[in-house]
Amino acid sequence: MDDWVMEQGTVGEALARQGVSRRSLLKYGSYLATLMALPPTAGRAIAQSLAGAKRQSVIWLSFQECTGCIESLTRSFSPSVEEMIFNLISLDYQETLQAAAGEAAEKARLDAMAANKGKYVVVVDGSVSTRDGGIYSCAAGKTNLEVLKETAKDALAILSVGTCSSFGGIPHAHPNPTGAVPVSDIVTDKPVINVSGCPPVPEVIAGTVAYLVTFGKLPPLDRLGRPKPFFGDSIHDRCYRRPFYDKGLFAKSFDDEGARNGWCLYECGCKGPVTYNACATTKWNGGTSFPIQSGHGCLGCSEPNFWDMGGFYKTLPQPTHHHGRDIGAAAAVGAIAGAGTAVLARQRRQKAIEEEGKTK
Amino acid sequence: MTLLDFARGPAIEVAMVVFVFGVIWRLAWLLFLPHAQDRSKAKITGGALLSGTVGSFVRHMWPAKEYAARTLVHTVASYTFHIGLAVIVFGFGQHIQFIRSITGLHWGGLPTAVISAVSVITLAALLFMLLRRLTNPVLKVISTFTDYWSWFVTTLPVVTGLAAVSHLWIRYEDLLGIHILSVCLFLVSFPFGKLMHAFLVFVTRTQTGMFYSRRGAHV
Amino acid sequence: MHDAGPFENVRTGLARAVEQEILQHLEALARDGSEAAIDLRGLPMSEADREELDGALGRGEVRATLSAMGESEVWETRFNGVWWVRHKGTDGQVIAEQVEITLLPEILKTDPADARAAAVRMREHIALRDPDRD
Ligand code: SF4
Repeated sequence: MDDWVMEQGTVGEALARQGVSRRSLLKYGSYLATLMALPPTAGRAIAQSLAGAKRQSVIWLSFQECTGCIESLTRSFSPSVEEMIFNLISLDYQETLQAAAGEAAEKARLDAMAANKGKYVVVVDGSVSTRDGGIYSCAAGKTNLEVLKETAKDALAILSVGTCSSFGGIPHAHPNPTGAVPVSDIVTDKPVINVSGCPPVPEVIAGTVAYLVTFGKLPPLDRLGRPKPFFGDSIHDRCYRRPFYDKGLFAKSFDDEGARNGWCLYECGCKGPVTYNACATTKWNGGTSFPIQSGHGCLGCSEPNFWDMGGFYKTLPQPTHHHGRDIGAAAAVGAIAGAGTAVLARQRRQKAIEEEGKTK
Repeated sequence: MTLLDFARGPAIEVAMVVFVFGVIWRLAWLLFLPHAQDRSKAKITGGALLSGTVGSFVRHMWPAKEYAARTLVHTVASYTFHIGLAVIVFGFGQHIQFIRSITGLHWGGLPTAVISAVSVITLAALLFMLLRRLTNPVLKVISTFTDYWSWFVTTLPVVTGLAAVSHLWIRYEDLLGIHILSVCLFLVSFPFGKLMHAFLVFVTRTQTGMFYSRRGAHV
Repeated sequence: MHDAGPFENVRTGLARAVEQEILQHLEALARDGSEAAIDLRGLPMSEADREELDGALGRGEVRATLSAMGESEVWETRFNGVWWVRHKGTDGQVIAEQVEITLLPEILKTDPADARAAAVRMREHIALRDPDRD
């Protein structure tokens, strides 16, 4: 009669302990399938493999960040659905959420590392300071740089959550006083998955973790290391204002007729065409809305250097630098050079005339 | 730095500096060059000279009767792509924004569909010009590298621009980056080759017109 | 729903296309029992499209409400074998919605693992109530 007892440490066991039925898991599977644009029948397969999957040991490191990413995840709108991810993982270290503090907290990290050597996933939010040895961001007497290297050494994979850890984000913005870099600049010998966004869509964080646990492998990644199921399309590809873009109907300012008619925001600086994320489909706050639906262009927050793309209201075709002075200087130098060239020509001519006079 | 960041940032900046420097340099040079004094006796002066000059300029905008029939297709194709380019550059909303961010000047644009149609027609005219250059025995002999280069740097932005607007082949950010870079290539080539005719045509045609009008010749 | 602009009220014609797809799957189910499902949230369907499809498929004999991590509604349409499955989160927001072409949607069946756990629970329950039995 004991053969059915669920394996210790599996997701199924964790759920059963909480009285969560397999129907809930199936429902979650359907939800994930929709989220990842998998065929709807995949929901059942996801649920089955989740039930038998080991809970993934996770060590969550927070570096130069604002805690917005973890807020995004823990305050997500559909708590019961998003909380599922806490059943999929065993969160062994997270400074903001854990009860332990001080040495006990550090010990939790080291213990988890030892117990799951080679099998744990490191989640990082925040960029890594590297200037002056990385002293601009330290915890427990260690720089973030040291902790990252130490923790990543025996990890299975790294999950960079948020644009700061994925691409450097705001700390990396010009002039980058702390020498902030993305995790992938430091950890080069382990798979790094970038779940970018400032903050990332909670469903995307949860979905990526679910993918790891369900399929036991990395999701397919785009050229910036982001999971394709969520970052495969640009905002522009899935934007409901796209028909207006195609027709050439643009809002020119935020209070003109075009804006009131809900026309395309390209000319108000929308970065949707060059931004890859799930906002236009998943939306925010439980599918309520997303920036473009609220009338503001996309800032491009899931792309590298979004902070330095010349300004949120500068449109894509516009140059990012200021030209006035350079062009003025170029014109002045051009005029002088032109006059100079002409003077040289005059002198040559004069000389030729003189020489002709001499020979005569 | 992505391709688009590079294109929108340093590349376009350098290209515009080179363009402005080059154009002013060549114009200033021409202006200050020693002019041979015209020793002929002026047959007409003042208003008459002016209208003669303008008349000559206008008449030269279309081939003379004797050649008109033979060069008709060529003339029409040339006008088509020149006007087409002007419509694209000054009529497309995104180009107007580009111009606005540099000069502060702006005006209303044309619908995207119109611009796309004009681009296709322009491209066809440009292709025709190239084919003609390659097949016409006389043109072929007198064509040099800079003729082909001028064609290339003019056509490339039209092709890449069309691709960008239609989201063809690759990701939009790369398309836009490549398009801006192709414009950079056009800008840096402009002052130092035959493309400079866009400015010089006014100088040379006016000069010729004035030269002959002064002598009372009707050309 | 926040004002989604004109889109949500527009019929894109997708409902008709999905209807055709459902018919093909239904014919396959009738022929050889093969099941299929169509994700209604992954498609760029507007609210109006989904209403149009709902109207076209209608309501049939079976209607079930589930309470598992929020409510779910399942109903058989007036075309037997075509089921509409709508999952909601605890906040009432729709988190997944699909049309299943099957004899019985998976979510309605009891999972063997749940049955096994229930057997244990029931045995404990009876043992607690009647401590003297067997
Ligand atoms: S609002 Fe932005 S994302 Fe939407 S169609 Fe316009 S440019 Fe594209």
